[in-house]
Amino acid sequence: MARSTEFDVTTSSGPSPYLRPALEWAVWVGFALLAYSQTGLFDREIPEYRFGATGWPRAVCLLMIAGATGQFLMRCLTIARGVVETDAAEEAPRQKLSGREIAQRTAIFLLPLVYLYAVPYLGFYLMTPLFMLALMLILEVRSPGPLIGVPLTVSVIFLLVFTRLFYVGMPVGNLPGFYDVNNAIIGFARLGM
Amino acid sequence: MEAFIGGTISLFGDPTSLMLFFFGLIGGMLFGAIPGVNMLTLGAVLLPFTITMNPENAVMLFSVIYCAGVFGGAITAILFNIPGAPENAPTCFDGYPMTQKGQSGKAIGAAVICSAAGGLASVILMMTSTGIIAGWAIRAFGPPEIFALIFFGLAVSASVGAKTLWKGWLSVMIGLLLATVGTDPVGGIRRFNEGSFLGLDYSSYYLSAGIHFIPLILGFFAVSEVLTQAINIATGTRERPKAGLEFPTIAEFWQVRYTMIRSTLIGFFAGVLPGIGATLGAFLSYTQALRWSKNRKNFGKGELEGVVASETANNAATGAAMIPLLALGLPGGALTAMIMGIFQIHGMEPGPLIFINSSELVWITFAAMFWANLMIIVLGWVQTKTVVHILRVPFRWLAPGILVLAIVGAYALRNLFVDVWVMFLAGIAGYFLRSTGYSAAGVVLGLILGAIGESAFATSAQLLDYSILNFLSRPIAATLFILGVLTIVTSVINELRGADQPKALID
Repeated sequence: MARSTEFDVTTSSGPSPYLRPALEWAVWVGFALLAYSQTGLFDREIPEYRFGATGWPRAVCLLMIAGATGQFLMRCLTIARGVVETDAAEEAPRQKLSGREIAQRTAIFLLPLVYLYAVPYLGFYLMTPLFMLALMLILEVRSPGPLIGVPLTVSVIFLLVFTRLFYVGMPVGNLPGFYDVNNAIIGFARLGM
Repeated sequence: MEAFIGGTISLFGDPTSLMLFFFGLIGGMLFGAIPGVNMLTLGAVLLPFTITMNPENAVMLFSVIYCAGVFGGAITAILFNIPGAPENAPTCFDGYPMTQKGQSGKAIGAAVICSAAGGLASVILMMTSTGIIAGWAIRAFGPPEIFALIFFGLAVSASVGAKTLWKGWLSVMIGLLLATVGTDPVGGIRRFNEGSFLGLDYSSYYLSAGIHFIPLILGFFAVSEVLTQAINIATGTRERPKAGLEFPTIAEFWQVRYTMIRSTLIGFFAGVLPGIGATLGAFLSYTQALRWSKNRKNFGKGELEGVVASETANNAATGAAMIPLLALGLPGGALTAMIMGIFQIHGMEPGPLIFINSSELVWITFAAMFWANLMIIVLGWVQTKTVVHILRVPFRWLAPGILVLAIVGAYALRNLFVDVWVMFLAGIAGYFLRSTGYSAAGVVLGLILGAIGESAFATSAQLLDYSILNFLSRPIAATLFILGVLTIVTSVINELRGADQPKALID
């Protein structure tokens, strides 16, 4: 295989080049050992099956340790050859993120979790349009047309296809008031059926 | 040939049959394309109505739904990274990156042609040699051969989508470990359902059913893609994919002819074997395309061959799945089990005698599957020219719809909201795995192949008295096993020699 010349051999001026591979190795081995230790909780014999319930998962954990060690050694070998690993992200000039940008990125990851937490209490039918609206606001949509139109269109299509046609029942919430509103939406979608 | 022509005349000569044929074709495509519902949903809804149909029409309708449904899921897999059905999951690996490169038309075009080609080849094989193939496959492919086949598949899956071989392996290992959550396949002992970590106890009744791969696939592909694009929007680095309308050229299909042939054979045999089916067929075919391709470095980055492998194999499995059903009365999957139900509703018994006692039913079914696969080209071509325009809609508007579809898809599977949690957590994990060079595709491959692999391994070990020599005395199992070992050894040697050094360094 011909060797590419797309990369540069550079020298590092930052922390030890071995730090990141070592950390990655530690994370993988730690994870595998944790999983291995948990297998002890179901280490029971199975009649007529020598490897028991733990044989396969333990083998996978050991292979994971072997893979992580192989990766670590290979990367050490690469570094020892005088080549320092660089991430594309590290090579790009680092820009200082503003408070707003940090908040936006955090919101992208937090919003689905907040939604998931709220749905069993407040109901899918009520929360989902609000979730879509919030997501679009995070994605910097500011025009009122799409902000109202997209959640409305998706909700109507959902109600027609999944609620009316296929009878897919989503959570209706368990808090008084919200439960009733969600059921009212379902009732409206199935009107005349 | 006369029987086939007779079947075709019966199919197109009767208005009721013709109407049901088109209903199955369009319904199957639509249900296949919508995450959250699939051809099984349509089948389940229609099953009670088959009582009032004659058995020929009922079996024909379900076989057409099967062909069209398996193809339908490719569209959303290619355009939005959401596989409409599990058998389309490997189509995401290269189909979506092709969309990002502005080659959506090419990817959908390849899916259309290859689905039709795989399906047609499979139907022709089914028509010519059902009895012989069914008998051979059932006898020759026991648990040891299935385990060896999966081992071979896993051996090459480390190269899918990861930046380095090691990262690929670790991704596959994560999938294999996730597959062990639930209950063990021999004794039914609950694994990773409850325990204690740092003094904190955990227990989940939900986990005793295992982690289903559908929420994971939706999370790793659809949700993590939405997160990635949202972050790109936040950083101002997102580029909108172009809505490519270009169809693959004949020269491009000629270049992947061996992949098409290989994938047809893999899909066909996967379909014949009960319990393997179109999903595993598509995954194994993808890994084998990767193994033998000259462009293996492009796999996972938008390689046409990846779409070809997956879509040819999953449709090739449809015709093949009818072989054990009709010839031996063995349904290999959920939809063929429904067809078995139709036989029972009408007091019929599939098996070798069905070719003599109900030859009209058999040949209407064969003819319908043949014409359904051919019609996929026409309907698929129309889809290629129309649905890719969805890409012109701004992603900020599409993202909420994609997430709602994914939520419904994950929830409707078992009516468990925990599946939606699993999907979103997999999405977040997928985002970080992808951004650090690991492979979401590798995790999914490990998860799907791991569950079947462990079961086949346990049965083989008991069957062969825990002896590796007994295992190697079976020619098919030994060949596949040795090929798998050779694949691992050569890839490790290549890595140690530094052949993949540039790739590792870019990571």
